[in-house]
Amino acid sequence: MSPGAFLQAFARLVLRTARPAQRWLRAMLSLALPAALLAWELAVHAAQVPVYLVPPPSRILAVLWTERAFYVQATWVTLGEAIAGLALGMGIALGLAVATTFDPPLERAVMPLVILLKAIPLVAIAPILTLWFGFGPIPKVLMTALLTFYPALVSWMTGLRAIDPAALELMQAWNASDWEVFRYLRWPSAWPYTFTVLKTAIPLAFIGAVVAEWTGASGGLGRAMWLAQTNLDMPRLFAATLILAALSLTGYAIAGWGERRVIRWGA
Amino acid sequence: MLEIRIRHVRQVFSTPQGEWTVFEDLNLEIPSGSFTVIVGPSGCGKSTMLRMVAGLLHPAAGEVRLGAFSPEEARAARWIGWMGQSPALLPWRTVEGNIRLALEVNGRSLRPALAVQELIELVGLRGFERAYPHMLSGGMQQRVALARTLVSGPRVWLMDEPFAALDALTREQLLEEVERLWQQFRATVLWVTHDLYEAARLADEVVVLAGRPARIRARFSIPDARPRQDERRIGEWVQVIRQALAGGVR
Repeated sequence: MSPGAFLQAFARLVLRTARPAQRWLRAMLSLALPAALLAWELAVHAAQVPVYLVPPPSRILAVLWTERAFYVQATWVTLGEAIAGLALGMGIALGLAVATTFDPPLERAVMPLVILLKAIPLVAIAPILTLWFGFGPIPKVLMTALLTFYPALVSWMTGLRAIDPAALELMQAWNASDWEVFRYLRWPSAWPYTFTVLKTAIPLAFIGAVVAEWTGASGGLGRAMWLAQTNLDMPRLFAATLILAALSLTGYAIAGWGERRVIRWGA
Repeated sequence: MLEIRIRHVRQVFSTPQGEWTVFEDLNLEIPSGSFTVIVGPSGCGKSTMLRMVAGLLHPAAGEVRLGAFSPEEARAARWIGWMGQSPALLPWRTVEGNIRLALEVNGRSLRPALAVQELIELVGLRGFERAYPHMLSGGMQQRVALARTLVSGPRVWLMDEPFAALDALTREQLLEEVERLWQQFRATVLWVTHDLYEAARLADEVVVLAGRPARIRARFSIPDARPRQDERRIGEWVQVIRQALAGGVR
């Protein structure tokens, strides 16, 4: 057998086995979560781990069910803050990204301020915001906006500049104005980046809201987590964490769905 | 239709290695309604010349005129049709949307020179109106670009190696289509290529550009009737152009 024929035969073999292997791997992964939960449950009971260290999943689910009214209310509070903060952060980021596209020197003026803001640790800002704006939703919205603003700005600035130079030259040959180049070329080019922004910023939005709630709030999942932690009430802490994870996953899935609906040109 | 006049043009680029003079004193007149093909070695300034005619680059000295107008005025009037090596289609627009783009840009709605549907049929894209560029082959994408160039009825076609990236068979088909469409539209064409066959097939006049700074090394007419299908005759012209490029004909 020549080396070429051998390679071909080998490639065929790999392809033939790869597909069933892929299917097997996917089946294993879909079983991984229930298996891990089961192992967790059994291990906690077998080792008799105290509930204030690691609660069994059954206990967490029981808390979620019996106190569902409380958790639904807390989820609404956090969700509202996260969405408002996300909208604010992304809105400012989009405005700035568009402004720097029309006036590139503006970027040099704005970016040092943005980096400065980004460099201040969250844990330092959160209590200050609470001190200034109280226990209401404003510090949470601001915190979320601060956290989501930076990745959104960087992605959009990249997206609005990532245009095909040949298309730009064509627009110039048509004597297109800056506005037309933006409308027909830059803005649609940036659409895929918008979904990247959403996928990155949605989980950050929940983190921002929860961290701000942790430093002082009258409601929300962060407040629930803080209360549970100070009382060493692990089932309640884990329950709130579980809801947060579910919220992030759902948000990410919605962004992915939107992306598939909107970006139909194989970008 | 517009004639193109390039008078005493000097063009200099600044590079890290110093100044590079592309043209020292370039003079060229291209008659209205003619098909002129510019050939020359890579990097000799063919595309630079095209960009100056389109007003995308300003000469350091001298002037470029399209009829009585500056390139900027011609551009503002949308008399310039531009087509490059890459089809530069917008991936989020359909075939029809990409062609219509040429009518939407520049503030006001232009009247199409031909109905968009008719043009789509002329370039052989019937049935693909709703397709997105990523669904099309390279040749089909260039057909869309060709239709987009022509839909606004430009008086000057500036074509920068439009078929360089295509396979020989597709290029042959497209050359036929271009010739047919040009005879219908009768625009002034400035066509840059380094494919000598393309030059012999299409040109009324061939301008051979070479040297640093670039000079017009030769210029001659090809009076043969169209469509040119006599391969032996085309081959003879290819030889003539090749000799001119090598410095044999003046």
